[in-house]
Amino acid sequence: MGLKSPPVQTLTTLQPTSSTISYTVSTRPVPKTLPGVVGLYLSLFVRAAIGAITVVVLWTKWRTASDKSTASLGWVAGAVVETWMVKAMHTCKWRYVAPCAILILWLVFRRGYTEESLTLLRGLGLQTSTSSSTYLRTPVTRFIPTTEIQDIFIHEAFKGFEVRFYLGIVVKNEKDVVVVFPTLLPRRAILEEVWRGARACLYGSGGGGEKSNKGDTRE
Amino acid sequence: MPYNIAMFCDYFFPQPGGVESHIYQLSSKLIDRGHKVVIVTHAYAGRTGIRYLTNGLKVYHVPFFVIYRETTFPTVFSFFPMFRNIVIREQIDIVHGHGSLSSFCLEAVLHARTMGLRTVFTDHSLFGFADAASILTNKLLKFTLSDVDHVICVSHTCKENTVLRASLDPLMVSVIPNAVVAENFQPLSYTSHESHHRNAPGPPNPLGPHDTITIVVISRLFYNKGTDLLIAAIPRILATHPNVRFIIAGSGPKAIDLEQTIERNVLQDRVSLLGPVRHEEVRDVMVQGQIYLHPSLTEAFGTVIVEAASCGLYVVCTRVGGIPEVLPSHMTEFAKPEEDDIVAATGRAIAKLREGKVRTELFHNQVKQMYSWTDVAQRTERVYDGISGVLSHDEFYQGAGAGGGWSATRGRAGNQSFALIERLKRYYGCGIWAGKLFCLCMLVDYLLYVFLEYVAPRTHIDIARNWPKKELKDGKEKEVEALKDDGGVGRKKSSRHRREKESF
Repeated sequence: MGLKSPPVQTLTTLQPTSSTISYTVSTRPVPKTLPGVVGLYLSLFVRAAIGAITVVVLWTKWRTASDKSTASLGWVAGAVVETWMVKAMHTCKWRYVAPCAILILWLVFRRGYTEESLTLLRGLGLQTSTSSSTYLRTPVTRFIPTTEIQDIFIHEAFKGFEVRFYLGIVVKNEKDVVVVFPTLLPRRAILEEVWRGARACLYGSGGGGEKSNKGDTRE
Repeated sequence: MPYNIAMFCDYFFPQPGGVESHIYQLSSKLIDRGHKVVIVTHAYAGRTGIRYLTNGLKVYHVPFFVIYRETTFPTVFSFFPMFRNIVIREQIDIVHGHGSLSSFCLEAVLHARTMGLRTVFTDHSLFGFADAASILTNKLLKFTLSDVDHVICVSHTCKENTVLRASLDPLMVSVIPNAVVAENFQPLSYTSHESHHRNAPGPPNPLGPHDTITIVVISRLFYNKGTDLLIAAIPRILATHPNVRFIIAGSGPKAIDLEQTIERNVLQDRVSLLGPVRHEEVRDVMVQGQIYLHPSLTEAFGTVIVEAASCGLYVVCTRVGGIPEVLPSHMTEFAKPEEDDIVAATGRAIAKLREGKVRTELFHNQVKQMYSWTDVAQRTERVYDGISGVLSHDEFYQGAGAGGGWSATRGRAGNQSFALIERLKRYYGCGIWAGKLFCLCMLVDYLLYVFLEYVAPRTHIDIARNWPKKELKDGKEKEVEALKDDGGVGRKKSSRHRREKESF
């Protein structure tokens, strides 16, 4: 529950071979128009530039603070920039530079969206993954072999002040159900598509597809 | 017209009891009639989350704080976000609350009116007016029932009690009794071929003057169940009637007194105490006797005496509460709630049985015709029709109370306006201080609703899928009904068709 409407979740299905299928739910905005695409790349470039400048500032501060040569900066950016930077770094203290730099770096590396995926390999198993909050860390993944999977179903649960749908996997010898897309908890329409695909992939198409669903013909 | 109904009550399975089984039976019969029913209760130990029972009955066990005897803490507003979410995702039209002590239910009725839903309240118990707890409960009940569309009581006595306690228009209170599943309470002769009941002794019919008559008592041994009367009456009954014995099942704080009396009078061989008995075993205990003794001091309905009569027992009971209206006079022997009269009534019952005047073997079929859950569901459905405007006012109230002129604030009895000012008027009439307090509560509730609509918009709430069986049943029912009555309820049917077109 946020004051703003939650970001739009998109489902991307990738099926390279007939026995492999990957569902990715993401809150990453996908621009459609040309200005949108240009804006996206521009913002990426600006991010990278700000990140690079911050690193250079930190490096310069370190060199000047320990009275080492900053000649390499002169070669890259020119003598004018070098002298200006060195002068500026002499006036700025570490106690201001360091927190600002950390904040800027954190903002630059922060991933503005969450991406969660479910990859199914027929006969092998499935892998769930949740992207990390920064670009620096790899996503959290979990592989469950087919022999361990007992069931995959959609159910509802209380979460905060609301009731949400979730896609759960029952794993053999485990007390708790593994929830697919645990942070995003997509809406029912997305979950149903993934559920159908996952059952078709794991148990073959038409293999007890409607067994544990609560599907109806109303909508 | 199929409705989406939500039953709200603190008390539900796994806890056993009368209200619980009432809700379950009513819900499953309503589902059979093509409605959609969800039950919302609080979480019990080991029973949490969202569950499905037989017949696609969905139960929400909302995590909540329990204070006393499985009753949740009355927080008034904290339940609203969850309530709204459930109501929207299940597309509820009618909120049906049960039990006047259940704060969960009272809150649900308040929120439902704020959200513009039709509400029904079922009262299952009788209350006094004098002691402090009753006054508080009655005030709370009055608050909730100031703005409810219809109230259902389990007996006429209960109706009288509720109307007085909550200052209601008697027109908007219906009486729909409880029922029993007659198949579960058959006398011995019905199931003699079944092996697992074989060892129970059959009733010697007709009874000779020296045959043993067994008197069965099944009740929780509390003060309000009349255990003190029972304790006083047992030695006297046994002293005057030599060939009589007692079977007493149940537990409670009065069990010790009962045991002491039996020991003091050395009656161990003639009174057997079984202790607590599970509901499914009640029948097996009942069929061992010929007379059922029910000395209760207060009772709204008394399902147990219907169960006893269904098992073919002659019933001796006190004339209190709703009991006199439950069974026809040829099945019962009434007594005043005092020791002498209970002894006398039991004596009369024993004499009648020995004379062979009472045809107890016919009781089962008679009870079966009088009480069935299908009938209860039909009558409840009629209440739903009445409050949602499917039945016209005259049809619903059968001409009584011209146009609902009883109350100035009510547009029409049983079809109350949702307008804020109308609701405020209704609450304001509750009392000098209470009225203002209630108005304040209602306003906060309304503002909370507006806030929630902004913070968690409806479009962000997924609609839950319905149990697939419902559509099948629905279709079948429609066919049957179309065959059954061609022109009788033309208007009703046309509105049903209209509704269907909208929903598809």
